[in-house]
Amino acid sequence: MITAPHLRARAEAEAASLPPLLARADQLAGTVLLGEHGRRRAGMGDDFWQYRPAQPGDSRRMIDHRRSARGDQQFVREREWQIAQSVMLWVDRGASMRFASSEALPQKADRARLLGLALAILLVRGGERVGLTGTTLPPRRGQTQILRLAEAFIEDAATDYTPPEHRAMIPHARAVFISDFLGEMQEVELALTKAADRGVRGVLLQLLDPAEEDFPFQGRTIFESVGGTLRHETLKAGDLRARYLDRLAERRDRLNRLCRVTGWQFGTHHTGESAQSALLWLYRALDGGSR
Amino acid sequence: MTTVLGIGFTAPWLLIGLAALPILWLILRAIPPAPVRRRFPGVALLLGLKDDEATSDRTPWWLMLIRMLALAAIILGLAGPVLNPQQQAPGRGPLLFVLDADWAGAPRWADRIAHLEAQLAEAGRAERPVAILALTAPEPLQFQSADAWRSRLPGLKPAAWLPTEAQLAQASAEVQAATENFDTRWLGDGLAYPGRTALIAALQAKGALTVYETGQPVIGIGPASFQDGAIHLTLHRSRPGAAREVSVLAQGLDPAGTPRVLASTPARFEDGVLSADLALSLPAELRARVTRFEVQGQRSAGATTLTDDRLRRREVALIAGRENREGLELLAPLHYLQQALKPSADLLHGGLMELLPANPDVIVLADVATLAPAEQAALTDWVEKGGLLLRFAGPRLAASDVSRAEEDPLMPVRLRSGGRTVGGAMSWGAPKTLAPFPPDSPFAGLPIPADVSVTAQVMAQPDPTLADRVIAALTDGTPLVTRKDLGQGQVVLFHVTANAEWSSLPLSGLFVQMLERLAISSAAKPPSAEELEGTTWRPVQVMDGFGTLSDAGTLPGVDGPALAAAPLGPDLRPGLYDSGKRRLARNVLGTDDVLIPADWPADVPVETMAETPERPIGGPLLALALILLALDVIASLALGGRLLPQRGRIAVVALALLTTLPQGGLQAQEPRPQPTEAETDFAISAASELTLAHVLTGDAKLDDIAEAGLKGLSDTLFFRTSIEPAEPVGIDLEQDELAFFPLLYWPVTPNQPHPSDAAYARLNAYLRAGGMILFDTRDADVASFGAASPNGRKLQELAAPLNIPPLEPVPRDHVLTRTFYLLQDFPGRSANAPVWVEAAPPDAEQIEGMPFRNLNDGVTPVVIGGNDWAGAWAVDRNGNPLLPVGRGMMGERQRELSLRFGVNLVMYVLTGNYKSDQVHVPALLDRLGQ
Repeated sequence: MITAPHLRARAEAEAASLPPLLARADQLAGTVLLGEHGRRRAGMGDDFWQYRPAQPGDSRRMIDHRRSARGDQQFVREREWQIAQSVMLWVDRGASMRFASSEALPQKADRARLLGLALAILLVRGGERVGLTGTTLPPRRGQTQILRLAEAFIEDAATDYTPPEHRAMIPHARAVFISDFLGEMQEVELALTKAADRGVRGVLLQLLDPAEEDFPFQGRTIFESVGGTLRHETLKAGDLRARYLDRLAERRDRLNRLCRVTGWQFGTHHTGESAQSALLWLYRALDGGSR
Repeated sequence: MTTVLGIGFTAPWLLIGLAALPILWLILRAIPPAPVRRRFPGVALLLGLKDDEATSDRTPWWLMLIRMLALAAIILGLAGPVLNPQQQAPGRGPLLFVLDADWAGAPRWADRIAHLEAQLAEAGRAERPVAILALTAPEPLQFQSADAWRSRLPGLKPAAWLPTEAQLAQASAEVQAATENFDTRWLGDGLAYPGRTALIAALQAKGALTVYETGQPVIGIGPASFQDGAIHLTLHRSRPGAAREVSVLAQGLDPAGTPRVLASTPARFEDGVLSADLALSLPAELRARVTRFEVQGQRSAGATTLTDDRLRRREVALIAGRENREGLELLAPLHYLQQALKPSADLLHGGLMELLPANPDVIVLADVATLAPAEQAALTDWVEKGGLLLRFAGPRLAASDVSRAEEDPLMPVRLRSGGRTVGGAMSWGAPKTLAPFPPDSPFAGLPIPADVSVTAQVMAQPDPTLADRVIAALTDGTPLVTRKDLGQGQVVLFHVTANAEWSSLPLSGLFVQMLERLAISSAAKPPSAEELEGTTWRPVQVMDGFGTLSDAGTLPGVDGPALAAAPLGPDLRPGLYDSGKRRLARNVLGTDDVLIPADWPADVPVETMAETPERPIGGPLLALALILLALDVIASLALGGRLLPQRGRIAVVALALLTTLPQGGLQAQEPRPQPTEAETDFAISAASELTLAHVLTGDAKLDDIAEAGLKGLSDTLFFRTSIEPAEPVGIDLEQDELAFFPLLYWPVTPNQPHPSDAAYARLNAYLRAGGMILFDTRDADVASFGAASPNGRKLQELAAPLNIPPLEPVPRDHVLTRTFYLLQDFPGRSANAPVWVEAAPPDAEQIEGMPFRNLNDGVTPVVIGGNDWAGAWAVDRNGNPLLPVGRGMMGERQRELSLRFGVNLVMYVLTGNYKSDQVHVPALLDRLGQ
C-alpha cells in the first residue's frame, strides 16, 4: 500500500532526475538546430510568406488592404504553411535496457531516454506535436509536453523485454521506436505491420552496448538476463562468440528487411558512441521521411 | 633426526604425503573451474546454443604446477626440515671456555655468543660443569652448571684491546690454581698477541684443548692523515685472501647536530694483499665535521679510527670595521690577512651574527671598536667555548673608548687614549722594530726580518697583568701583540693595523708565520712520545670493543709518552684525550701497525666455528606455499575471466602497493624558514626603487612629521635631480630589514624605546655595509650632544652601542658641502647648530693649490645634528609646507637651504666621494692635454 508521504518521497526522488535529463536533452537538441524551419511553401500558418496578386476566386476578405493601397492592383497576403506533424515515440523501458558493460558507459536505457527526449525537444521547437505511442500521452505541442514526456520516460518496466506499444496510433503520423530489439521479433513485426496499415511511417533505432556487439567473454559462464528471467550456461563462452554474432547480424538483417517493407528507416547506435551523432541521424531520418 | 640430502627432518614420516601429489593432480585436473555469473541482455540470442565440446576448459598445466608446488612446499615445511644439522660427540668432565673477547671478535660477537650458547646447551645436556674465562677480563674459574652461565652470557662484551701480557699471566695463574682437570674450548678471535704460549701450556696440562676460529680475516683501519688535500687511510686485514671491496664511512655530526654518514667510499684489497690504501677528498666544511672513519659492516674498535685536530683546516672569519673602501684593495683592512691565510685556512666573510652560528675556529676583527651588546655577548660566549678572537688595532679602535677605563672582556689589555705615532715627520725618533720574542711566547724562535718597522700603534696601559700578556714587543718594550685567556678560548690583539698603514709587518713573511703560530698551529703529523714528554692527557671519550664511544667518566689521566707509545689495555683505552686546547685521538691501530693472524701449536686442534648454524627452514617453505597459493588465486581469477575486465583496478592496486612501499630513508633536512609574504612584499617594494626611510619612534606626531619631511625631500629630489625616490617609509628597527635603505632619518625624542640588542646588531651591520643614519635631536642648540638637553642625553644612550667612528663638526671642505649645491651651513627649522660627521683622517693634508683636502675615502656612517630638518622639509598632501620656518622671506630662504642640505645629503649618500675625486680633475686634464 502506498501512503501519501511515501508517494511524495518517491515522486521527489524521481523528479530529482528530471532537470538533469531535461537539461542534457536540451543541450543535445541545441546542437542540432540547423535552421530548417517551416515548410517553405504557402499555406496555413502564422508567418508571412509572400504577397501575390489577387485572383478570381479569392475571397475579398483575403485581400491585404495595406499592400493593395500602394497601387492599383490588389494583393493577397499568403502565410507560410505551418502544419504540425504528430510524432509518436516509443522508448523501450524493459529491464534489458538497464545494462552497461562498464562503468564508463551509460546504460542503454539512459541513452535511449536522452535521445528520445532530445528528439522530442527538437520536434517541439520545430512546431511538431510529440507524444507517446499508446494511450498514455497523445501527441501535443508545447514545452509542457516535454515535461510530461520526461516524466513518462522515467518509469521503468519490470519485464525483461517489453514489446513495442502499437495501440492507438494516429493514422499518417510518424513514429520513432528506440530499443535494443533483443526480445521477441513477432511483436516488432506486429507493431510495424500495424503501423504500416495505418500509414504510419517512422524510424527504428537499435541501441546496443558495445559488449553486446563484441561478446568479449571467455571461460565457463552463466549468462543471465537483467531481469533474471532467462539464463544460459556455457562451458566455453569464447566458442559461442561467432554464433552469437551471427544471430545478432541475422536479427539486424531481419529488422532491416522489415523496415524496408514497411517504409520505415532502420539505424543502429552504440552507447559507446556520441549521442549527438545518433540524434542527428534520428532527426534527419525523421525529417527526410516527412518531406 | 633423519637426514635426507643434507637436510635433516624432524618429522620425516610426513614426507610420504608427497606420494599423494600425482593423485591430486588427476583429481584437480578433472574439476572444471567455477563458472562466472554475468548479466547480459543478449542472452536471448544465446538461448539454444550448444557448446561444441562436452568438457569445459581444463585447468592449465602451469596452474596445476603452482598448486602442486604449493602442496609440496606445505608437506616439506610441516616435515620440519633443518639446514646444516649438527651432530657432535659428547664428552665428559668439566669444561672451560676461553674467550679472547677482544675487538677482533666484535664484528661477529653475536655469532660467537650464539656458538657459545649452543655449546653451553650441549654441555648442559651432558651435565658437564662449565666455566668461562674471558682473557681481556680474567677472573678466578667458577665451574657452574651451564644454565647458570647461559644467563650470564649477555654480560660478556669484547674489550677494545688485545689481551695484555699481565692479563694473560693472571689467566695462566687462574688456570693453574684450579683443583680439578678439565677440557678447554678456546674461542679465538683470530689475532695473535704475545704471551699466549704459557697459557696454552697451562691449559694443555689440565686436559684437552680445542680451538675454534671463524677463519674470517679481521679487518682494521689505520689512523687518518691529511696530505695534499686528501685524507689518506690504510685498511689492514689479518689474512691474505681474494680481492675484496669494503666501504669506509666517514661519520660526523651534520649541521643540525645529528650523527650521520657524511661520506662513503670503497676500498679494495687486491688479491693476496694485506692492506688497502684509500684517499678521500672531502670539502673542508665536511672534513671538519668528520669525527671518525669506520669500515662498513665491521663493527669493532679496530675497524674504527677517530680523528683529532690533525684533519681540520681552520675556518677563519674575517670582519673589518668598514668594508666599503671602494676597491682600494691594498688599503682594505683585510687584504693582507686574506693573502696570508688563504693558502692554509678557509676564510669566511659576512656579518658577525651570521658567522657565529657557523662556529669558525678563529674570528678576526680588524679595527672593529664597538660591538652591539648582542654581538658582544655572543662573541664572548663563542670565545669562552674555545674560540680564538684575533683583533687588530686601527684608527677606529684608537679613537674609541673601548677598553679604556676598564678592561673590555674581549680585549687583552687596557689601551691608552689615542695611540702614538713614531717616525713621522712631526715626531722624534725612527720607526720602531721588533724585539726578539720571549721564550714563552708562541712566536718564540721566529726570525725577525730587519725591515719590519712600526710607525704607529695603540698603547697598552701598564697593568699588573700586562707583562704576562705580552707575547711580542717592540725594541722599546711597548707591547706589539698581547694575549689573554678567556674561558676556554683566547683573545689576541695586534697593536697595529692589519694593513700596511701603521707598520710594514703585514708585508713581511713574519706576519704569515705569526698567524700560523696563532691560528693554524695544528700539526699534520701525530706527535711522537718525546714531543709529549711531561704532558698529562685527560680521557674525554673512550671506545668499547664495538667501536662505540662513551663518556670517559672518572678514568684517570694518561702520561703523554704513554699515550703515544704504550700498548692499549685497561689502563690506556682507545679514545679521545685532551690536554689544554689540544686534542689527540688514540686509535687501536697506529700508523705502522699491521694485523697478525693467530697461529696455534701443531698439537692444538683448530676447528672452524660453525659458520652456518642449524637453521630450520620449515617457516620459509610454508611462506613459499602461501605465496604460491596467492599466485594460484590470482591465476584462477584471471583464467575465470574475473580479473581481465578489471585491469584498471589491478593497476590501481599495483599503484597503491608501490606508493605504500617505504619511502626511503632519506629525510629531508629541515627547510630554512622562508620569509613571509609580507616580508617579501616589503623587500620588493623597498628594493625596487630608491626609498628614503625614517626610524619609527613610537611618537605618532613625530613619525608623521618625519614622514612628511622625507616626502618633501623626496619631492624636491624628484623635481631638481635625477634621483626619483619612491614614497618614504617608516622603519621598525626590530623587524624590518635595513639593507634596502641608503639613508635612515632618526629623530630623537627623550622617551622613545631603546632598540633591542638584536636590532643594534643589525644597525651595526647596516653601518658597516655602508648605510648612513641621520640623527636629529631637533633641539637646535645642544646638538653637540652634551648632556644639557634630554634629547642630547637620549642620543648618547641610543648611539652608545653603535659602532660610530670619531666625529668632528663638518669641515669647510667636506664633500657634503658640494655634492649638489654649494653650502656652508645646514639649517633646518633651526639654524647655526653644528652638524657632526666622521672625522677626517689625521693625515689628511691640503695640497698646495687645491681647494680641498684629499679626503678620499668613505662616506660618514652618521650625520648628527639638531636642526629639525624633517620639520623644515615637511609638506602636506598638496605639497605646501607644513610647519613655519623663520620669518618671512628669510624663513623661506632657510627652508630652501634646508632642502638643499637634504639634496646634498642624499647625493652624498648615493655618490660617495665622487665630488671629492674632482680634486684630481686638473691633473687629469693636464695629462690628457699631453
